[in-house]
Amino acid sequence: MMLRIWTLASNTVREAIRSKLLYTLLGFAIALILLAIALSQLSYVESDRILQNFGFASIRLFSVAIAIFVGVNLIHKEVDRRTVYTILSKPLSRSEFLLGKYVGLLITIWLQLGIMVAFFVGTSLVTGAPLGFPDAAVIALLSVELALVVAIATLFSAFTTPMLASFFSVGIWVVGNLTRDLKLMGAKTADAGIQWVTTALHRLLPDMRSFDLTLEAAHDLPISASDLVIPVIYGVGYIAVLLVTSMIIFERRDFR
Amino acid sequence: MKASNDIVLVEDIVKDFRPGFGLRRKRVLHGISFRVREQEIFGFVGPNGAGKTTTLKVLMGLIHATSGHASILGHATTETAFRRQIGYLPENPYFYDYLTGREILDFYAKLSGVDHGHRVARVDELLGLVGLSHAADARLRTYSKGMLQRVGIAQALVHDPRVVFLDEPMSGLDPVGRKDVRDLILRLRTQGKTVFMNTHILSDVEMVCDRVAIIAAGRIRYEGAIDEFLEAGEPEADLVLAGLPPDTAVELEERFGAKLRGHGERIELRVAEKDASPAMRIALNAGARVVSSIPHRVSLESIFMTAVNESRVEETPS
Repeated sequence: MMLRIWTLASNTVREAIRSKLLYTLLGFAIALILLAIALSQLSYVESDRILQNFGFASIRLFSVAIAIFVGVNLIHKEVDRRTVYTILSKPLSRSEFLLGKYVGLLITIWLQLGIMVAFFVGTSLVTGAPLGFPDAAVIALLSVELALVVAIATLFSAFTTPMLASFFSVGIWVVGNLTRDLKLMGAKTADAGIQWVTTALHRLLPDMRSFDLTLEAAHDLPISASDLVIPVIYGVGYIAVLLVTSMIIFERRDFR
Repeated sequence: MKASNDIVLVEDIVKDFRPGFGLRRKRVLHGISFRVREQEIFGFVGPNGAGKTTTLKVLMGLIHATSGHASILGHATTETAFRRQIGYLPENPYFYDYLTGREILDFYAKLSGVDHGHRVARVDELLGLVGLSHAADARLRTYSKGMLQRVGIAQALVHDPRVVFLDEPMSGLDPVGRKDVRDLILRLRTQGKTVFMNTHILSDVEMVCDRVAIIAAGRIRYEGAIDEFLEAGEPEADLVLAGLPPDTAVELEERFGAKLRGHGERIELRVAEKDASPAMRIALNAGARVVSSIPHRVSLESIFMTAVNESRVEETPS
């Protein structure tokens, strides 16, 4: 089973490596990171903080954009182009297929993240901005967030069109970044109904802010082990639920 | 009752689709049943839209039947492990066009569990078998439709399966390619394999199949050995003659009840097979040339047309 999943995953990575579009997106992200150097020079004070904030924001936004953009096409493209017919006639289950595609895309996204981080580290070294454990913690949790975003995109890709899947995935990521604020706002109102809705949204949708340590890193705030471990457990659990749901949906589909 | 040599068994399969988002359902397979025996070439024949590809997709587990049962080699089609023993060529196959011919076959061989030691040699062998050795390292996006069809056939055979399912295998191929595929299918039978072939081209069926089932409008209209079709009715022959004088053409028409069709100076006529030699003799004596004489399998075509016409009558709202 592992060999079949790996065969699909490695082929998905190969597809990404041979795709010109992804290089274009990666080029944009790297250009933005380099732009951070120019922006940091505009300020006489806290230029390191500007570089870091801008760099991390660029990495995060572009990584999420690439994850959603590629993720929503992941399964749909296989069905639409009918490549899935020959693959599923081989001795592998639909769940193995879906898992292989997910793992392949995740490796691709992590590879891209690695390239962007390498440029970020390079620009930080050139400008003399300090790098340390907080920066590594930011990237570590971002990699978990990306795994979650890919799982969300994969879920929607398993049963709907790329356009709708993009809409839902972006929506969930945006709202997922706001659920903490929504919950706080709900708690301040006297309306029990609004409180119930905001709490339900916070519990149901992925809390994307739990993966964002940019603020702590940029302001040298302490980062505890629990700040890392709890989001990782939360993320892995959420991903497992999303993937199992995707598999159940995908198993029931007819490929007409 | 399941016979011991049944490789494919389809029992009362019904498939309904929802055409849109509503609750209304459209029935595309109306309880079809048939069986494919070991080491035979089985032709699943029907006009476009009859339900051939849907049936094949049910067998491949790509579509879930609404009711009924289908099995291959004794395994329910929902199982996966037994697919090591089957190969499948879909209609108009699509592949990852960023891979080369060699890479795509290696990919399918890996998925099918062909071990590393045999994979390289097997891929080379298959590329040679389908005549793609010269293009083995070219990306599939540079392949023609016919070459992609050949890749499709190669991937269906790369793991040396016991049963091969081919959906319109001659599609997109030139006459040479069609002959190659026909020869390949016949070779598979001599290797002891069972072949299930979807097609709407009757001449292909007559040339390679042992048994056929005719499907029209989602119902099996006929199932039986090809010889039964061919032995039924009086055999006919198609003669193509060049330079036939008009009065001789009239004579042939009147004497043998020949059906004439003209193509420039060539005349095509269909006569009973027993009348083919006397008709050719008269034509030659009149100064004509015999361009070709081909036996005409009228019975399969007529049964096919009867099945299609019956289905049209049934589908017409009263």
